[in-house]
Amino acid sequence: MNTEGAASTLEKQISSASRSVEDARRRAHLDPARLGDLVEQINVLAELRSQEGDFHKAESLYREALSRIQEVKMPDPELLVGVYSLLAYLYDRWSKLEEAAAYYKKALELGEKLGVHDSDKVATVKNNLAMIHKNMRDYDGAAKYYHEAADEFRHLHGENSSCVASVYNNLGVLHYQILEVDRALDMHIKAMRIRENLPPADREAGDLAQTYTNLGAVYKALGDFQKAQEYVEKARSESASVNHSGMPSRRRSAALLLDKTA
Amino acid sequence: MREILSIHVGQCGNQIADRFWRLILKEHGLTESGAVADQAAIKNNTNQEVFFHKVREGKYVPRAVLVDLEPGVIARIEGGEMAELFDAGSIIRKLPGAANNWARGYNVEGERVIDQIMNTIDSAVEKTQALQGFLITHSIGGGSGSGLGSLIIERLRKAYPKKKIFTFSVCPSPLISDAAVEPYNAILTLQKIRENADCAVILDNQALFRIAKQRLQRTPTYMDLNHIVALIMSSITASLRFPGRLNTDLNEYVTNLVPFPGNHFLTASFAPMRSTHSESVVRTNFGDLARETFMEENFTAEIDWKSGVYLAACALFRGEVKAKEVDENMAAIRKILNFASYVPTGIKIGLAETAPEGFASAGLALVNHTGIAAVFERLLGQFDIMFDNHAYTHWYEGAGVSRAMMQSARETVGELAKSYREAG
Repeated sequence: MNTEGAASTLEKQISSASRSVEDARRRAHLDPARLGDLVEQINVLAELRSQEGDFHKAESLYREALSRIQEVKMPDPELLVGVYSLLAYLYDRWSKLEEAAAYYKKALELGEKLGVHDSDKVATVKNNLAMIHKNMRDYDGAAKYYHEAADEFRHLHGENSSCVASVYNNLGVLHYQILEVDRALDMHIKAMRIRENLPPADREAGDLAQTYTNLGAVYKALGDFQKAQEYVEKARSESASVNHSGMPSRRRSAALLLDKTA
Repeated sequence: MREILSIHVGQCGNQIADRFWRLILKEHGLTESGAVADQAAIKNNTNQEVFFHKVREGKYVPRAVLVDLEPGVIARIEGGEMAELFDAGSIIRKLPGAANNWARGYNVEGERVIDQIMNTIDSAVEKTQALQGFLITHSIGGGSGSGLGSLIIERLRKAYPKKKIFTFSVCPSPLISDAAVEPYNAILTLQKIRENADCAVILDNQALFRIAKQRLQRTPTYMDLNHIVALIMSSITASLRFPGRLNTDLNEYVTNLVPFPGNHFLTASFAPMRSTHSESVVRTNFGDLARETFMEENFTAEIDWKSGVYLAACALFRGEVKAKEVDENMAAIRKILNFASYVPTGIKIGLAETAPEGFASAGLALVNHTGIAAVFERLLGQFDIMFDNHAYTHWYEGAGVSRAMMQSARETVGELAKSYREAG
């Protein structure tokens, strides 16, 4: 697909999402119980606006969602925490780290206060907040949030789930960056074991190849060049086997950020 | 299509919307619910899409966003004859009002609702193919229209830097005053209009009151004043909506009427001014119509005609009008009007085929005259008396507008008045 074609597809998606938001606004106006639908539609449109490169429109949409939820007498805690984390995620992607951290923390505080526990949202927020701490060079803070996220995901989906593997991957990257290579190795091996054994439906294209690449880098840092080479080869053949037909991959759980910096 | 999106803000802005859309519907052969009443009118009129978008059932929905911080006026529109007309998704009403305080409309309450308003505007823009710009109706003396209106204009300018923003701004008058703080609200709003809008048609309540009183021979109500505003708005936009020999779009208005950046404050007149209740169609010969259009007492701002000069003028004639008559009469009028010495050009003229409901022909003048400084000076005088005595400023400070900010707005408007005086 050429760039022009992609642009007009995005335009069409935006105009259709915009109509859906309008419909949802109308329905929510008549029946406040439909607020959840509205927030969902707003999320779709804001996501497209962000893809289009219009940060302000995306921000404004999430802020509308937030004020709408807060207007209700008894705001839905899940919804509220969700929108705070979506807004934070937007700031996150637009490199507005301080705002992102503030909104993620707000989401966590609210989650705590309103009793939103055992939720993917809370775990995801912790993972993403960890990454921000890492980027702001607060490595201890980052490690703490990653471990909390891993605990929650483990509790929700079991040790051998793709989201636990993702957090291990992120922890591996963190340890590598602060030169704790042995711990990095440990994390990437844990991630690899899970990812190699995931049922096909849970696999995300490229994740396993990424783990092999990361392991290659770790072995190289440890001076084991033979193993490093082995994993680089594995990464290469794994990448080649991944379907590159241009089909977008299944959307990952709203905002679980993967650290691919290593 | 060159669509226009109307945004009506606050009590006054929405009361104008009520009168304005009634007129527009009739002119376009539509019923009060937006259904087609007159098939012929639809066929003759190729520019329906400028103000309406057509929905599946063949109904036309106004390209309009209605905003208020008090539900009253909008609720009356929604509960009235036009109940089915507007898209419920483009109506935004919130409690608890701006309490006549610009700062509350701009900061406190405004901050809470602005995202929703901008998103609704974005959705409406999404339905256009080539948007010309925005028309905003509001009063600059109250709280919602002035404060929230300012915030909307400011955000619109940021979000749509290339689109034209036209405001229809109703100025307070001591004769029909709602609140003591109107001069504060007006000065704060004028500053934002100067900085962010492309053109502002000043509708001075004092002048509207005088025109309505002369015409009706009784004390006019707000409804009467709003009807005059609606007639003017309908005429200004007529050439955008109807086929005609000389068409004008928002860009052309701006190019012709704004000789200096920032001096984009216009006044307008409508002719023939007749009682709204007369049943018969008003017929006027063109010579009289043209003269009445440019009669000083017909303009909707209290202009200082004596010491000021014309910087620019547009005239738009609608209905049964012959081009030859227009040329002859307008050449004569051009000679009488006192134009600035450095503006040698004539009056820009537009012609549209459809006259407003109840008129065989009608005229509109839209002018940029240096005497508009008098309107600003009047407001500045009222502002200064209160401000120097620290009267009421605590309400503004309490809502995030410091005395320094008010002082800065006062200076901007002071400079605006001065630049108009000097342009003469």
